[in-house]
Amino acid sequence: MQSLAPVPSVTDSVLRVSELSKAYNGILALDGVDLDVRPGEVHALLGGNGSGKSTLIKVLAGVVEAEPGAVLQLGDEVTDLAGWNSDKAYAAGLRFVHQQPAVFADLSIAENIAFGTTFPKNRAGKIDWKALNARTADLLALFGVEASPTTPLGALRAADRTRIAIIRAVQDRDDATSGVLVLDEPTAALPAEEVEHLLDSLRRYAAAGQTILYVSHRLDEVLSVADRVTVLRDGRKVDTVAAKGLSEAALVELIVGRPLDRMFPEPTDAPAADVVLSVRGLRGGPLTDVTLDLHQGEVLGIAGLLGSGRSELLRMVFGAYPVDSGTITLGGRQVAFGSPSEAMAAGVAYVPEERQLDALFQGNSVRHNVSAGNARSYFSRLLFHHDAEKRDTQTAIQQFLIRVGTDTQAVETLSGGNAQKVVLARWLRRKPAVLLLDEPTQGVDIGARAEIYALVREATRNGTSVILVASDPEEMAHACDRVLVLRGGRIAADVRPPVTGDRLTALLAERSTA
Amino acid sequence: MTTTPSSERSDVTEAVPVPRTEPPVAAAKSHVAPVAARRSPAGFLMSLLQRYSLVALLIASVVAYGTWSRTSEVFLQAGVFQNITSSQSVLAVLTLGLLIPMISGNLDLSIGSTAGLASIGTAGLYADTGAPLVVGVLFGIAIGAVVGLVNGLVVTRFGIDSFIVTLGTASLILGIVNWYSGGTSIIQGIPQQVISFGGGKALGIPKLVYVLVIVALLVYYLLEQTPYGRNLHAIGSNKAASRLVGIRVERDTCLAFVLSGTFAGLAGVMVLAQQGAGNPQVGQSFTLTAIAAAFLGAASFKLGKLNVPGSLVAIFFLAVNITGLQFAGVQGWITDVFTGLSLVLAVAFAGILSRPKKHKQAQKPEAAHA
Repeated sequence: MQSLAPVPSVTDSVLRVSELSKAYNGILALDGVDLDVRPGEVHALLGGNGSGKSTLIKVLAGVVEAEPGAVLQLGDEVTDLAGWNSDKAYAAGLRFVHQQPAVFADLSIAENIAFGTTFPKNRAGKIDWKALNARTADLLALFGVEASPTTPLGALRAADRTRIAIIRAVQDRDDATSGVLVLDEPTAALPAEEVEHLLDSLRRYAAAGQTILYVSHRLDEVLSVADRVTVLRDGRKVDTVAAKGLSEAALVELIVGRPLDRMFPEPTDAPAADVVLSVRGLRGGPLTDVTLDLHQGEVLGIAGLLGSGRSELLRMVFGAYPVDSGTITLGGRQVAFGSPSEAMAAGVAYVPEERQLDALFQGNSVRHNVSAGNARSYFSRLLFHHDAEKRDTQTAIQQFLIRVGTDTQAVETLSGGNAQKVVLARWLRRKPAVLLLDEPTQGVDIGARAEIYALVREATRNGTSVILVASDPEEMAHACDRVLVLRGGRIAADVRPPVTGDRLTALLAERSTA
Repeated sequence: MTTTPSSERSDVTEAVPVPRTEPPVAAAKSHVAPVAARRSPAGFLMSLLQRYSLVALLIASVVAYGTWSRTSEVFLQAGVFQNITSSQSVLAVLTLGLLIPMISGNLDLSIGSTAGLASIGTAGLYADTGAPLVVGVLFGIAIGAVVGLVNGLVVTRFGIDSFIVTLGTASLILGIVNWYSGGTSIIQGIPQQVISFGGGKALGIPKLVYVLVIVALLVYYLLEQTPYGRNLHAIGSNKAASRLVGIRVERDTCLAFVLSGTFAGLAGVMVLAQQGAGNPQVGQSFTLTAIAAAFLGAASFKLGKLNVPGSLVAIFFLAVNITGLQFAGVQGWITDVFTGLSLVLAVAFAGILSRPKKHKQAQKPEAAHA
């Protein structure tokens, strides 16, 4: 997209960082990175997990201190990054909106926005609600949010909540031309349907002459909204390129450093005919009547919109969601799991959608996270065999490509992709008969994504059969042998190869016409 | 929205190589050049200091009171150490039992009054029926186990916060104790063996201390060396995730309360042996001290985590200082003041010391998101 601001000269930059390095425990997270952001542009910052994007943002925000020698230039002013802090960043017009913005769902929009500056008060010191609501209404109109200032934030859709966070960050900057709005994966928590609404706002904001530094994993978004793109890999800058005319394939190659066509493993030629898991007339929660067969060694996709019951379906098979009626047959035997432990005993594994909430044990080591639920296997003759557990974990770290210093490192220090591999290792080590995957690549960068699907494919060669839920049709098309479309509580379509993202998108969209 | 590239896959004959030999990871690793040793000697010293600061303070306190002219004369007598260890063993058993539900993310506020109930109940049984020694001891322990079971069932069946449930049972039990005892001690009919055990020594060490040692080993083993202990840590970290890896959260949590109750029952029998009487006043004051000691203990050994050796050091650190200060002439109020002050200071101190480390962890490249 072209900015409406006057075309800036090459030397004209609103923010320029040079020779920026940062080491953690002796490991370089940033290695002499340069970044040059021009006024009025949307500048995208891309890179895989561990590439250093977040560190770069944190340095700019003044949260993390850079190694000596780095130089920051804001407009014409050159600053030494030593002693840079969040107050200085704020004064310089840098505004940050993080992935999960700190918003208060129970408070009104006006209150949420007022926390960014101050509440207007009358002479007695009482909050002047009238003035606050009027100011908020103006801001809402400016950013195209159709809501009243007194609406509780929780009542808004996700895209609007993110917009409110952006408004809060930039409310005092509507006529400033210096400064940069930094957005750290603003769309990561948004459903696909709402992303476009947010991007619209950003385009309008940039068109008004403001500068945006945009961090994201979603390449199509970047291409549709950014003017220029800087790619980081392993703490170094790969390149800064114009977004216009760039293809997704070229971007991926910049990010991961290898050609795109090798990113996803091939589906197996023909799934064996044996049915491993069969579901008949399953009813419960949003599901009214689901019937499906999972074949040996197959990756079966379940496509469905938010709220279609795709997650509930997996949970029912895992014994973690109540089933009203219907039968589940596993390996020829009818089963009715009352709890996850029963399902696990029968060889079912489940990677939940919400990694932080449902899968990771914060404060516990990588080792304990990998063997969670499996501790009993290291206990024999009244002794806990920590050495065997350590050996197994180190094997898993290698086998599942987990990038981690030691296995005693706390799991919350891992990036999204590595944390997901820990969860995957936990289950794949058990060599499950059936693996249920719910959004296994959410918050995972494209390189780790490919590795995760390669690991899943590897597991199918060793006898595991997989049911995969993912909200991205392209990803489903690449990773699955066959895809079932879940709609209206039942299986609406059985998509056989060749499965394409476009076909899935079309089938999912049929909802409105059906 | 397309997130992944939509390439044609037909022209590719080669799938991604088997992960084990995947080059990008190896290539990426070669990039991350270490610029300093992973752990500098200073950093190592710092972590030692953090872990064992409470131990060092305990030793320093003993040395200080042993050399301070106002206390050294009394303090260095063997009887003092026997006294401290013996009197603290009851509190220590309660604290160690309390660690079990606490590690699973629950609190048991009823341990003190449970100990009191076990103490008065056992005394009453001896006085009323002349029950044999062993029966009385088992009865006291069983009282604790039953209270724990009630706590555990209410917490897990009705999903009520353990803080509220055990606050309620603590008060309830207190009422029962006062009703049963009429507020007076039971001094008659306590078997002589019980009393002599409570005041007795073997090899110069109070017999109650042996009980404490056994309990400490048991609780340590349970929490750190069994799958059950591992599951409790997991439940304390993330209940929903625990359920989804097959841990039976309700059963394990309920058992944690049964265990803390059982140890409280044992502590009650120990109090009875120590005092030679069933005293209705004993008990409640233990609860808050035990919780304080558990948190204080989390500031040493395994930083930020409740642990057995840390709790023991915390208890004796408090006891040595309170005794020492009393020898120096400070009044009885010093007990509460010192306990409260050290808890707040230790937790704050541990927080300050561990902040740079925490900071680094939280700010690790691409941590948490990206």
